[in-house]
Amino acid sequence: LKMADEPTREWSDEQLKSDDLPKKDIIKFIQDNAAHSFLNEQKLLGNIKNVAKTAKKEQLIIAYNQLFESKRFKGTEPIEEVTEQVRTVKIEEKAKDVEVVDEGPPKYFKSVLKKGDKSNFPKKGDNVSCWYTGSLEDGTVFDTNIPTTARKKKQTKPLTFKVGLGRVIRGWDEAILTMSKGETARVEIEPEWAYGRKGLPDSKIPPNAKLIFEVELVAVD
Amino acid sequence: MALEQLSDVVQRCQALSDDSYTTEDHDVFSVCGRTCIEEGDSVQVLSIVLDEKNQDIVRCMGWNLLPSLIQVLLKKQDSKISPCLAIFRHLLQTCRPKELLIGLLEQLEQDDPDTIAESLHLLLNPLQKVLLCLGSRKASSLGMTLSSVLDQVAKLPLPHTKEQEEDDVFSLCRTCTDLIDFVKPFVHEARQNLLNGGEQNKSTNKTAGEQGGDKEDELRTELLKFSMKTLSHPLLELQLRDPDTLAVSPLRNFATEILNTLRAIGESLPSLVFQPVLKRKQVEGFLEEEVRYPKESLASLAHLVFVHHLAADTFPSVFSSVFCLRCNMEHVFLLLSRTEESRIQKGLELYEKSLVRLEDGSLPSDLLEIKSFLTVPQNLVKVMTMCPQHDLRTRGLKVLQLSIDKFDTEAKYNFFQYMLKTSHHSGVEGYVIKNIKIQIDNALQPGKSNAWFEGPQLLPLLRKVLILPDGPETDLLQYLDRVMESLNLLRYLVIRDKATENQTGIWTELYKIEDTFLKPLRVGVNMSRAHYERELHNTMETKKGKTKEESVLSVSVGKEKLPNMTSKSQIQALHSALHTFDMIESVLVRIQELTEGKENL
Repeated sequence: LKMADEPTREWSDEQLKSDDLPKKDIIKFIQDNAAHSFLNEQKLLGNIKNVAKTAKKEQLIIAYNQLFESKRFKGTEPIEEVTEQVRTVKIEEKAKDVEVVDEGPPKYFKSVLKKGDKSNFPKKGDNVSCWYTGSLEDGTVFDTNIPTTARKKKQTKPLTFKVGLGRVIRGWDEAILTMSKGETARVEIEPEWAYGRKGLPDSKIPPNAKLIFEVELVAVD
Repeated sequence: MALEQLSDVVQRCQALSDDSYTTEDHDVFSVCGRTCIEEGDSVQVLSIVLDEKNQDIVRCMGWNLLPSLIQVLLKKQDSKISPCLAIFRHLLQTCRPKELLIGLLEQLEQDDPDTIAESLHLLLNPLQKVLLCLGSRKASSLGMTLSSVLDQVAKLPLPHTKEQEEDDVFSLCRTCTDLIDFVKPFVHEARQNLLNGGEQNKSTNKTAGEQGGDKEDELRTELLKFSMKTLSHPLLELQLRDPDTLAVSPLRNFATEILNTLRAIGESLPSLVFQPVLKRKQVEGFLEEEVRYPKESLASLAHLVFVHHLAADTFPSVFSSVFCLRCNMEHVFLLLSRTEESRIQKGLELYEKSLVRLEDGSLPSDLLEIKSFLTVPQNLVKVMTMCPQHDLRTRGLKVLQLSIDKFDTEAKYNFFQYMLKTSHHSGVEGYVIKNIKIQIDNALQPGKSNAWFEGPQLLPLLRKVLILPDGPETDLLQYLDRVMESLNLLRYLVIRDKATENQTGIWTELYKIEDTFLKPLRVGVNMSRAHYERELHNTMETKKGKTKEESVLSVSVGKEKLPNMTSKSQIQALHSALHTFDMIESVLVRIQELTEGKENL
């Protein structure tokens, strides 16, 4: 069962040796047309730029010729080829994901209202305790743990949680890691790092809401 | 007669000091006093009891009259109530709290729901007064009382509809309201202890465990035990109505007050609800963690918070929706592991509410490494396939689809593989395969390409779909849902994916699918068809012969034997089976038409 017509030679031997033909063109051709196991053996798998760095032109010419001699084109190999591809795809996909996460500006803005001790910064996984008030852009206060009377303050405790682990909305995780003990800050969080397109159903937080918190970091672990 | 004896013993004891009363004195007083009350001489008993000269006697022996008094009061016969009530009140003020407590608790135990409700209504307030007299020693007595009370509450029938809650025929609502009034002062005391404890801490730098508050801790512990118990029963069994359905709901108030109680004794609702995921330190005290916070109670609490939004004002709005889901999965798992309708319904509701907060396609695949993300779907399958209530089965399926929608493509891919491997149910597998088709369809749309539902990654998944579980011998009727969906998927692929493009890889796979799926399926269809045609022929022959068939076995439900399937029904069933095989064959033929000649491009 053949997949496609056999590929034809694009370059003559002279053209191959010529300096006008860049390595990456040869690599691309071989990657596009050769069976996976062939590429693997010839060490021609992966990002073209990287392969170009490590492979010499002579090697590439030899590989190119070997490809047409052995006819080990795509679609001629049994199942193992596909499995290999599957494995490779998986790894690449993961790597891409990591890159995407690091891109883009932070979706929150912090302004310091009261400076902290500037030495006790929480690390990921530390327990932190905060007093906070949260409001919407229109000023509606949707949440606070600051008690209204002095009497009640005795029995209320600040909110305590492990920071940096995704237990709270991302804006909080990111902002608090930049705060030091004793600091009070105003943190404006875009919906993407708060409750996003869904908001919090059955609560005061509507979809696509930007949230504004005033947070006092009272304790770090 | 009894009255005379009573007067005699009282007179005799007047002269004695209370530590010289004999056992006989006690017995005579008790027996005669009770008899007098039961026979209607309560006015006379009242005057004896109120007599100043008799107060020592009353203090020592009076509590023995409680059983008879309470019986009379529960019967509510107007003529007798007034003096009995007066005796009762006087005893409550005069007798020793410990003894009163025993007497009152004994009378809580009743058999029929009406009397139970009445006795609770009558006795909770006196019990409260008595307990408050115990001072700092009250905690264990309170615990004992609450335990007895809840045992009695457990015997009351629960309202199931809004109307039943409004009518409150068996007084559960009134009882719950009475119960909240009962615990109020103790909760208040516990709250005060907490405040004062905090102050002491500041001034003396003692740690929490060193507080002179062992007794206070006991009080908190008893209230915690009580709250946890009520969360299980009655709260987990009850269907609470939201304010727009029922504006005034004593049961909803009860639930809210239980949450308030927890907060008053220093428990943090987020910590309780998120407990499955948080690593809680071992709390010092005389209860083990698991016993202190029973899992079922925490699940009930999570349901109250996330589904009914009780105490919403005090629950922080900063936790991420994914974190809430992670924690709630544990509660959902517990609830869906049970068979009671109330638990399954609440499990489904809690799961749904947690999922709805998330955006579609937002959950990553590494969540599937968390055990509950695999065990909950398994429980869902059980609900969908085995739960007797049709509504719950339907809802289970709806929630399953909702959960699928929230996964990103990689997670969907892994989840589908997992479900195909573990659900062992043709209908569920068929449903999953339908979902796979939807995902492939999405991936093939311009601009929506992904690495999981097309290209080389798709093939391992397709291979798990396009397969016959038992080869040609597969029971096609049993596996019908799965087989039909697999065929539908295959037909879809060969139509949608051009052989020249082969984005899904199906065209290169076809020759293999022919061997592992299509050929055995054709064989299976032919075999099954032949078998059923023969069966049909035999049945028709037998029917013609009009002889009564002796069946090999019979089926009984309850005590009734089900009637044998009539020949007519048998024939109908066989025709239906044959029709099914025709259906399968028609899709097979269509696929063949579509793929003929294109395989060799």
